[in-house]
Amino acid sequence: MTCLEFERDLPECVEGVPSPEQQAHLNSCPACSGLLLDLNSIASQAKMLSAAEEPSAAVWNAIEERLRSEGLIRRSEPVYLPVEAKPSFMQRWRAAWLVPVAAALAVVAVVKLYHPTRLNNDDAKQVQQPITSTAPVKNASAKRKPALSHEDQQWLSTVAARPPAQLAKFRSDLDQANAFIEDAQESLQQDPNDVYMQQMLMNAYEQKQMLYELVVDDSSH
Amino acid sequence: MGDAMSTAKCAVRFATVLALAGVAFGAGENRKDLHFKVGKHPAISINNPYGPVVVKAGAPHEVVINAILHSDKVEIDQSQSHNRIDIISHLLQGADQYSGVVEYQVLVPADASLSIHSENGPVHAENLHGDLALEGGNGAMEVLDCGDGHVHVRTLNGPVTISNVRNGHVEVVSMSGDVSLTSVSGPYVAVNSNTGKIEYAGDFGGEGEYSFTSYAGNIEAVAPAYASIDVTARSSQGRVDSDFSLEPKHTPFYAKAGSYFSGTLGKAASSVKLMSFSGKIHLKKRQ
Repeated sequence: MTCLEFERDLPECVEGVPSPEQQAHLNSCPACSGLLLDLNSIASQAKMLSAAEEPSAAVWNAIEERLRSEGLIRRSEPVYLPVEAKPSFMQRWRAAWLVPVAAALAVVAVVKLYHPTRLNNDDAKQVQQPITSTAPVKNASAKRKPALSHEDQQWLSTVAARPPAQLAKFRSDLDQANAFIEDAQESLQQDPNDVYMQQMLMNAYEQKQMLYELVVDDSSH
Repeated sequence: MGDAMSTAKCAVRFATVLALAGVAFGAGENRKDLHFKVGKHPAISINNPYGPVVVKAGAPHEVVINAILHSDKVEIDQSQSHNRIDIISHLLQGADQYSGVVEYQVLVPADASLSIHSENGPVHAENLHGDLALEGGNGAMEVLDCGDGHVHVRTLNGPVTISNVRNGHVEVVSMSGDVSLTSVSGPYVAVNSNTGKIEYAGDFGGEGEYSFTSYAGNIEAVAPAYASIDVTARSSQGRVDSDFSLEPKHTPFYAKAGSYFSGTLGKAASSVKLMSFSGKIHLKKRQ
């Protein structure tokens, strides 16, 4: 099993029992085992949090307002939550759990998003390197990940409310589609009359279009 | 006697507990049976975010839908306009991937056109001769014993299996889902994958155009010795192999040795293009 195949089955693996094949991969790949460990840790922490007392409605409203002002969520049906005039110190303190959770999610997202995926399945095995959630992975990934366009960023913002693992998968798919486009374009610069590469470029754009459409369709439910 | 009574009481209690548990267990589920009268070539659309959709050929002028809703957080919106039927699993507030599940078993006329969208559940279509459009995110897509129509499948991560499709216009687009075609032939058969593998086993019949392209996924095609094809295979970074001794032909591109082959087999009735950027390509001879 390769890292790509493992990532594909990752959502089922989180908080579940890995199959023998997945376990064998986990034993041999520190990057994937670290990622799974992080996700399981967050999932278990989230469960404990849900059992704790809810933060005040004012906290949720403030978060929603902030996300909206940053364009991360769109205006939908109005949310009618009772707003307390002056949240107490204890209530503000209870909301502080959001900070480490958000930080942990960000760390996991970085590890997941910068995981090596833009390679042939067999090649991916060769480049697996032990990384931890705090390792400086940005430099290694910068060469592999094409920059996101404004449209890509807008698209990602429309699906920002999805679960982190799903969001990371979308981002991974987007990076793959962009990588395909970029490589086909580079090849065509060398030989603009290459009819087969022209077809490949069209196929790459078709993949990206499908990704945009399917994910946004699903988000509308 | 006393022991027998005691045993009987225990048995009754046990049966009661079992029955109550069964009621409690099944309480969340809700069955719905829908029947529609239709004419020739009806168009049926099903949009189901969570849960499987199985569609098979049934009576000529009737559409029968058996649905199992896993909770009251999802409901079925249905509408019929002449020959067109729309079914939507409508998620209510608080529905998630468990409570939002609806399982569909659908019987349609064999000539029906189908459009199915399923975000997570598997989709299975069998014995149909109309146009099929299947879309999904993670669920498996399976098309079996169909033909004479368009078969369009779009998936992000779910595997795609298409078997015994004759005279079809088949198009598959996949990001990372593997695509397997067995005994699929027709005037146009195209698979466009990013990292998913593409496997084809068949005779490339129908004097058709077969185009399999991937970015990083491997491509493997297995054909019989009697196949009649004009084939070009090329991978920019992956290895390219053929078990056949092909009659060489000119290629309209420059490529280094070992990264492509091009030639004809038999009367070259069908056109076959196997293209990848970094995946391996292998054209195998069926034993």
